[in-house]
Amino acid sequence: MPEIRVTPLGAGQDVGRSCILVSIAGKNVMLDCGMHMGFSDDRRFPDFSYITRSGRLTDFLDCVIISHFHLDHCGALPYFSEMVGYDGPIYMTQPTQAICPILLEDYRKIAVDKKGEANFFTSQMIKDCMKKVVAVHLHQTVQVDDELEIKAYYAGHVLGAAMFQIKVGSESVVYTGDYNMTPDRHLGAAWIDKCRPNLLITESTYATTIRDSKRCRERDFLKKVHETVERGGKVLIPVFALGRAQELCILLETFWERMDLKAPIYFSTGLTEKANHYYKLFIPWTNQKIRKTFVQRNMFEFKHIKAFDRAFADSPGPMVIMPGYCVQGTVGHKILSGQRKLEMEGRQVLEVKMQVEYMSFSAHADAKGIMQLVGQAEPENVLLVHGEAKKMEFLKQKIEQEFRVSCYMPANGETVTLPTSPSIPVGISLGLLKREMAQGLLPDAKKPRLLHGTLIMKDSNFRLVSSEQALKELGLAEHQLRFTCRVHLHDTRKEQEMAMRVYSHLKSVLKDHCVQHLPDGSVTVESILVQAAAHSEDPGTKVLLVSWTYQDEELGSYLTSLLKKGLPQAS
Amino acid sequence: MDPECARLLPALCAVLADPRQPVADDTCLEKLLDWFKAVTEAGSSLLLLQEHPCLVELLFHALRAQDLSPRTLSFALRLAGVFAAQENCFQHLQQGELLPGLFGEPGPLGAAAWVAPSVRSGWIQGLRSLAQHPSALRFLANSGAVDTIFSLQGDPSLFVASAAGQLLVHILDLAMREPAEGRVCPQAWDWPVCARKIVCHLEDCLRSDAAPRVTQALHVLTTTFGHCHGLWTQGLWVQLSPLVACLLEKDPMPAPHTLVDLLLSVARPQALRIQAFNVLLQPLACVLEAAAQAPATPGLLEGAAGDPMAVDTLPPSKSACVGLLCSALAHLELLQPLPQRPSPWPQAPLLAATVTILRFCNGSAAPSSEAGGRLCTMLVGCVRVQRAALDFLGVLSQGLGPQELVTQVFAVLLEYLMSPDSSPMVLKKAFQATLRWLLSSAMPPGCCDLEPCAQLVLGELLAMLQKRLCSPCWEVRDSGLEFLTQVTRHWGGQASFRQVLLASELPELTRQLLQDPESYVRASAVAAVGQLSSWGLLAAPSSPEQPAIPQETPLEALLLILTTDSEGFPRRAVMRVFTEWLRDGHAEVAEDPERFVAEVLRAAGKDGDWEVRVQGLELALVFLERLLGPRGSSAVAPPSVTARAMRALCQVQLFEFAFRSLFDCDRPVAQKSCDLLLFLRATATPPGSPQEAGDRPNVASVEAALRRWRAGEQGQPLGELAPEAILAVLRSMDLEALRDTLAKSSDHVERSPQSLLQDMLATVGVLGDNEADCY
Repeated sequence: MPEIRVTPLGAGQDVGRSCILVSIAGKNVMLDCGMHMGFSDDRRFPDFSYITRSGRLTDFLDCVIISHFHLDHCGALPYFSEMVGYDGPIYMTQPTQAICPILLEDYRKIAVDKKGEANFFTSQMIKDCMKKVVAVHLHQTVQVDDELEIKAYYAGHVLGAAMFQIKVGSESVVYTGDYNMTPDRHLGAAWIDKCRPNLLITESTYATTIRDSKRCRERDFLKKVHETVERGGKVLIPVFALGRAQELCILLETFWERMDLKAPIYFSTGLTEKANHYYKLFIPWTNQKIRKTFVQRNMFEFKHIKAFDRAFADSPGPMVIMPGYCVQGTVGHKILSGQRKLEMEGRQVLEVKMQVEYMSFSAHADAKGIMQLVGQAEPENVLLVHGEAKKMEFLKQKIEQEFRVSCYMPANGETVTLPTSPSIPVGISLGLLKREMAQGLLPDAKKPRLLHGTLIMKDSNFRLVSSEQALKELGLAEHQLRFTCRVHLHDTRKEQEMAMRVYSHLKSVLKDHCVQHLPDGSVTVESILVQAAAHSEDPGTKVLLVSWTYQDEELGSYLTSLLKKGLPQAS
Repeated sequence: MDPECARLLPALCAVLADPRQPVADDTCLEKLLDWFKAVTEAGSSLLLLQEHPCLVELLFHALRAQDLSPRTLSFALRLAGVFAAQENCFQHLQQGELLPGLFGEPGPLGAAAWVAPSVRSGWIQGLRSLAQHPSALRFLANSGAVDTIFSLQGDPSLFVASAAGQLLVHILDLAMREPAEGRVCPQAWDWPVCARKIVCHLEDCLRSDAAPRVTQALHVLTTTFGHCHGLWTQGLWVQLSPLVACLLEKDPMPAPHTLVDLLLSVARPQALRIQAFNVLLQPLACVLEAAAQAPATPGLLEGAAGDPMAVDTLPPSKSACVGLLCSALAHLELLQPLPQRPSPWPQAPLLAATVTILRFCNGSAAPSSEAGGRLCTMLVGCVRVQRAALDFLGVLSQGLGPQELVTQVFAVLLEYLMSPDSSPMVLKKAFQATLRWLLSSAMPPGCCDLEPCAQLVLGELLAMLQKRLCSPCWEVRDSGLEFLTQVTRHWGGQASFRQVLLASELPELTRQLLQDPESYVRASAVAAVGQLSSWGLLAAPSSPEQPAIPQETPLEALLLILTTDSEGFPRRAVMRVFTEWLRDGHAEVAEDPERFVAEVLRAAGKDGDWEVRVQGLELALVFLERLLGPRGSSAVAPPSVTARAMRALCQVQLFEFAFRSLFDCDRPVAQKSCDLLLFLRATATPPGSPQEAGDRPNVASVEAALRRWRAGEQGQPLGELAPEAILAVLRSMDLEALRDTLAKSSDHVERSPQSLLQDMLATVGVLGDNEADCY
């Protein structure tokens, strides 16, 4: 029985690092290869030794697919490809391919420069890893090999984020990666066609949340920034998720323009600046509004926002807005959890005097959005990843109730196995088709039709051919298969007389058929042969031996049932 | 334990025991456990528990509470294991009935929480930690835990199942090591109860008809023989090998690759290892046969040669066949360099088979047999097999081969390198394999002369390379440049190589690629230019008809990149080349090394990329070594040498660069500078030598500048400096203390256990909107 198997190595009931193994029709695909920001030892990477217990994983995996450039989806890639040794193809969209190495380099800088980690992946490894990448376009079907094909769909979330359909024959799986069903300031909404996959693997970060209107949150944000600036204060927004920086830049830029504000806005040089270059480059991946205005003005060419220079640095401002989540072990985490005294290097303790606001600007679909996507794709099964177990439980029930499909939520290391119905393509011979056509019925793709023929398997292919052709191709002689049946009739007359009566009875009933009485006393109707014999033990009973070929099976059984009712009394 | 941590611990235990207080970050408990491991490794666990009764209370709570989250329960199990690793602490916990409770039937084992894989995983990891001493062994044998471990081998969670297998190996090792100490291989009936139980279980599994059970047992055995090296493993093998041999006889063979792994991990039975090796050779033997080569070709499998059935043993479906071939090639690749590889190693037939596979894959083979044709259709264009075969071919360069075969190897490699159908990845592997074969063709080994056939190939290679450097694919241009750099490094001094290279357009093309739009390619071009220039292979040939156009020198070209390229990679590459040039005495550099170093340091000092600045310091160190002798030799330079060196260093403004770097915001730069100054101080100023009496040099301006830089200000340049002032400042600085400070990571405060406990306590109650957020 063919089956689809899914094993998360990461993102199974957590939001740590995405890495999901999928086996579909004998093909093995790894979806995302993320790292965990909270660890700085081996635990930051998924444990790849589970991919296969024997042999190298390169020979086991057919391809790796990266949904977008965030490090919890691609951060382990150089480790996986250059240190673990995977050297098969890695698929991602073009913007992801362009921005991924920038983020990996930045991550390397933090790990090596700031944290002083030795034994970390090098720039050369990042380059060698990127050499294995194959870029894919949206809605383009990419043939990984003869059987495995993949196709990318727009996912919103960040520039270049994509959902992927993985297909082998008639079996398919869709993996959403992170997605957003509502358009934001610079990106469009995720979209997928009604592809009815066997399985939809969807993120479920906001499995239980129905998010308030984005407009409210934005208004709130701008109000807070504006008030602080008006009071002569400064606002620090440490945006760590690439993509959100651009979103907030556009938000602030538009507001500044509208309100004609003069206070300067700076973004840090380095990462955001570099990424901005690519945001300008990949305008087709943004939303409609930005694409439209692009002719007059590239929205990423900011007027009010300038690169930050060290010379600007002086005392910190009175407000910090954290636009997203911070892991334990960072200053951000401490500030967000309300700690007012921070120990800095050299036992120096700083008091947090500024106002701290938390406003989530992460671009994930909320519960409504997830349901909407399930409705769009119409999958046979749903599997939840990238979320918390408790919330997944809730969404799982909701999906099962509303869509009447099975929903799974495996923990990391657990395997979900889905049986799929086998679909075996069968070729049909021209001769057989012509014979059908001769009956005056033209083939119609919309109407399935019953066809009789002989199924033969040659060179691992199935074909439906006429029985004559089958015999010829296989070099076999034809055998006749006859059905026989005994009908017992109570009659004392002689056998010949009996046969005669049968003949006249059948002759009268089966007017359209050729009924013959042969010289040896037997009666034939088409291929059916009827012979009368005496019963060995009971002379009062006669036995009619009826036999027929399989072609005349219908007539044969009709005739038998007719004879079983007995012969009419002689008039 | 830190007093502050000790103070916070009771509150933390209370939070952990409270099911209404979910732990904010899924990494916190892991880090907490790391900390407890470190604490117990450094001291007595028993003492720790006695000093902090809240810990035992937490464990008791985990035992009794019904509503604890699986995550916390799992943590408690692992924590108990960490404490119980010390025998006296184990006994303490056992007296309190805590261990039987946590790890026996009354604990989570029989509770609803057991469905959570994290709880089962915590249970196993807890046992793994505590299984360190004889008391633990008795506990395991009596508590029925071993039976639970057996059943967990088939757990639906891969993590749990694998950990269960590893735990069995660990217990077996522990049990067998103890009594066998000092004795020769005890007999099976002498084995301890725990060990006998595990071995019985393994025997049952090996006899089983259920493939998963056989595989589980094989995994356990492979890990055992791979990791345990006590004498007892011999006894174990004697006991189990008949059952393993039975598996080899079965048709179809269960878990063939796991079996191969096992037999290769057991170094002793030669016969079985050969049998296992044959399993790997089988697919390649089929290929050789399908290619129907001349019967003179030595067969791969003795006895099987000429068996017409052999080819049919390859799976009929393409994907299965490809998978099998790749797997066999990969295993053989791993096996080749190992000392326990079967001997004799069939080098020649393996080479022939690999070349044949590559020929099938690129369609250049013309098999006459039907089987060969079938194989050819399956393999043609198959990138996976190409990759695996090229890797294996590269590894095979470690052995010799008949000349005729080596010629074939180069021929097939050239076919791949020239073919327009080769994917960038395949090309890269073909380049790597070619380089390995060229290196192994050196005559005598290590010398730069090549065998005649390799010599011939080199000419064709360079012609091919010209085309590859013009590829529209950046990956191909980059791999081409990397290859050019490598071959030039090895054969740049060889006359015929120089001749062919200089006659080609390669030097000019490489120069042009310094302007490539892709920064990775520019960086590789920089390395190639560096290498070509080192061997004097970049000079534009001037002829009477075509007077050489005055081109910028390689040094000028690279300096321009260092000062203007917007990307870090090419600039870093330039610094590496410059360092190498200075070390090896490159002609252009040797003209005026001081000017060169001054110019490069000026550029590197302003660079925004910390790695360029670190490279700048590396270059400064090389310069220093040229003046003062190599690092590591503790000899103090004679005063005359020091004086000359100091003047040169001041002239190139090395101190300005080094002192500024000392306060660089990027730690590796500061560290490197600290090392450099320490080296300088040790060599130029003998320890304990007080400053000579006489004129006190004026150090005020230097110290003032250092203060400004330390405060993060840019400030004025130092300007002209007197060597005496520098030495005086160096002597007065506490560079050792600075080095210690710099050795700490930037987040060492946030990563401290105290910070972790504070964070965990601080999140209590504030978890709300942001708990499920992420990037």
